[in-house]
Amino acid sequence: MSEVALLQVIGLCIVGIGVAILLFIQARFVRVVGFVVIVLGIFALVALGVPQMASLPPAEEKFDVASIKTAADMAAIGQKIFFSKGQCALCHSIGPSESARCPDLKGIGAKLTREFIYESLTQPQAYIYLDFRHEGPPKEYPARMPYINKNPIGLTKNEILSVIAFLQQMSGEPITVSPSEIEQAGSPAQPAAQPQKVAALIPAHGR
Amino acid sequence: MRNHEHHPKRTGFFHGRGSVLAGLLVLTALAFLPGLGLAQDATSAAQSVAYRDIPGLGSRNVVWVIAQLHLLLAGFVLGVPIFAWLCEIVGWKTGDKRYDKLAKEFTKLLTSSYATTALFGGILLFLLIGFYPKLMAYLTDIFFPSFIVYCLLFLLETATLYLYWYGWDAMQDGGMKSLHLFLGFLLNVFAFFIMIVPNSWATFQASPVVISEGTEIQRAWAATWNPTWWPVNIHRLIANVVLGGYICGAYAGIRYLSAKSPEERDHYDWMGYVGNFIGVFGLLPLPFAGYWLMREIYQYNQQMGITLMGGFLSWLFILQAMLIGVLFLGSNYYFWLGITHRIPGAEVKYKRPIMAMLVILLLCLGVWMTPHSLVASLEEARKMGGTHHPLLGVFGVMSAKMTVANLMILVTFMSFIMYWRAGKQETATWAKVAKAIMGGVLGVAAVVVIVLGVWGYFVPAIVRINYFSVAQVLIVLFVMLTITPLTALLLRSAKTTTEMVWGRMPPRSAYALVLNAVMVILLMTLMGYARSSSRVHWHIYGVMRDSSQYAYSPALGYAAAFMSLNTFLFCMLVAFIFWVATMGDKAKAGGTEGKAKVPAGAVPAMAGGSPALDKE
Repeated sequence: MSEVALLQVIGLCIVGIGVAILLFIQARFVRVVGFVVIVLGIFALVALGVPQMASLPPAEEKFDVASIKTAADMAAIGQKIFFSKGQCALCHSIGPSESARCPDLKGIGAKLTREFIYESLTQPQAYIYLDFRHEGPPKEYPARMPYINKNPIGLTKNEILSVIAFLQQMSGEPITVSPSEIEQAGSPAQPAAQPQKVAALIPAHGR
Repeated sequence: MRNHEHHPKRTGFFHGRGSVLAGLLVLTALAFLPGLGLAQDATSAAQSVAYRDIPGLGSRNVVWVIAQLHLLLAGFVLGVPIFAWLCEIVGWKTGDKRYDKLAKEFTKLLTSSYATTALFGGILLFLLIGFYPKLMAYLTDIFFPSFIVYCLLFLLETATLYLYWYGWDAMQDGGMKSLHLFLGFLLNVFAFFIMIVPNSWATFQASPVVISEGTEIQRAWAATWNPTWWPVNIHRLIANVVLGGYICGAYAGIRYLSAKSPEERDHYDWMGYVGNFIGVFGLLPLPFAGYWLMREIYQYNQQMGITLMGGFLSWLFILQAMLIGVLFLGSNYYFWLGITHRIPGAEVKYKRPIMAMLVILLLCLGVWMTPHSLVASLEEARKMGGTHHPLLGVFGVMSAKMTVANLMILVTFMSFIMYWRAGKQETATWAKVAKAIMGGVLGVAAVVVIVLGVWGYFVPAIVRINYFSVAQVLIVLFVMLTITPLTALLLRSAKTTTEMVWGRMPPRSAYALVLNAVMVILLMTLMGYARSSSRVHWHIYGVMRDSSQYAYSPALGYAAAFMSLNTFLFCMLVAFIFWVATMGDKAKAGGTEGKAKVPAGAVPAMAGGSPALDKE
């Protein structure tokens, strides 16, 4: 007997008990209980009559260093991190969005160097584009960029590099992150050495 | 995992029996402890444990039941103070002692439920810490300052409730009464904040925001102010009033059935009427708050919205329509019974309008319950030309559902107005003009709502959502805000033609009250499941994944069985608490509590009236 069939039988029995109470018992409170039981039983039976769909979780993604052979592999992992652990999509959109609370990242890999992106992720307050992908006067965004390499997000260097690979690929740029830069298991996962200050290389739009 | 309010603070008990009840429940909870795996070797890396389970029962199922009971009790104890306080104000303003007595009776139900609510909150907290240590550590890291605020609020709420309840009789005269009313106001202020603080924890799970660097308070505040926090606050505030009103109505209904004296019958008939009135009063704006919440969810994350309305949860909204439909029908049915039994001679006069309203409600309910895609075999689908039936498919979309929901609200509102005006004859010179204006407003509003609904089929979705649906809501609100004061003004000078008679309602009216309460409780359990399931396999949406064996959302049938179980347990729990709370009354009832000596017509009744007042 399937689970649904079993629950239907139980539901019918419960409704039957309720009907029996109303037919044969005179105590008022017990009759009210019988009435409630009938209502609940009918509700459950109706719910069992509609299409039964459970929502199963997708397979959990693991950052498997061994599986990375090409830069495209890194970008694929970076995309998953972007939309899950990295929490980037909580604020950023890829393409125009009414609900985005922060800059649109479409084409960001073409506009910024990997060093600048890395700095933006690990030292978000070092340099701020107030008018990145935004026409008109410089704009303050409601959400403040967190330190991606610290808690609660805490991406490792490998994960940050993968996200950068994804951003470059998504912008149609050649991926400048190499799989050889990935730290192998056993070596301590830590953020890369401080990148060179890149602010000076970029025309200042706002700080 | 279902996240609901946690009460880290156990509070005092207001009755001697409360502690006995609490003790029993704690013992029951302790009986589970061996299964929790708490006796694990303490040297094991406790911090690395992400989940614990109870074999056989399942940790999620246990949390589901406890959290649901806690949330329902919390809804009741936060909703009741609102109208208890309002009833007290009405009694104070009008001098009608019935309202004061009613407010006191509501508060008595509140005090006896309060301790149990806190107790279940405590049990829930222990279970959450035990079953989901990693998640709770994460949430604690973010929200710890608000935990402290919550504890303080609980202390303040408890102290205020002590003073409000125990000081009732001592603070009846002069300035003391004003102080008592102020305490009632404070009670509601603290209750409101007690509700919105845990709401921030639950809404953060559904619509998290990125937490930047900053002080603990800054981080907690950033997480608190998430996109769905205020929509949920408003929605729950109104829903708590609805829940409280209908439960008090059901309590009155059961007491009415077992009433032994005419005085008791009169009192509980009237209390049932007030409970139903409060329930309907909250029910009318509730769909608007729900619509706003759903809009914010779509705005925050379209995928989550699609999961709810078009994904695996879409059939849930058909069940929701069924429950809301039954609730509307039950509420209207109680009004109609009131008209035909409490107001002699009204049954003939109002037979046709009642029939018309019944037909409209049933038609609207039929449209609301029509699914967009039908369950059909391949052959049936071929005959239909797809899963959308050529005729029924038209009613399965939001444009139709928004329209009928608004029409049902309008009909229910008119049902109430009809009840209010029954047994009275307007004497104002401008009565005809006022009635014409009211009729015109209602007629035009209904037509415009329908026109916008039909027009909604021919415009882009964004236009319908942003403009048409909002316009429909504003139109219905305009009708309510126009007709209510006009009716009140008209009836101020109206002549009573038929005096309302309390205590003559048939037993089925009490069952209607019970049915309404069960429907509201089921609705809360259903939508709680929807809210939790919309996160799919995430504890915190897009941030912390559920990697336990329960990282799936069960199908509707299984979930409905749990909803029914939770509803039944809650009803029995509330019945037990109320029974314990009223034991003292039965002991005291040696005939001392006669009918409240209220001078006839001391206050205009909501329907019918008093010839004595007319003579004055």
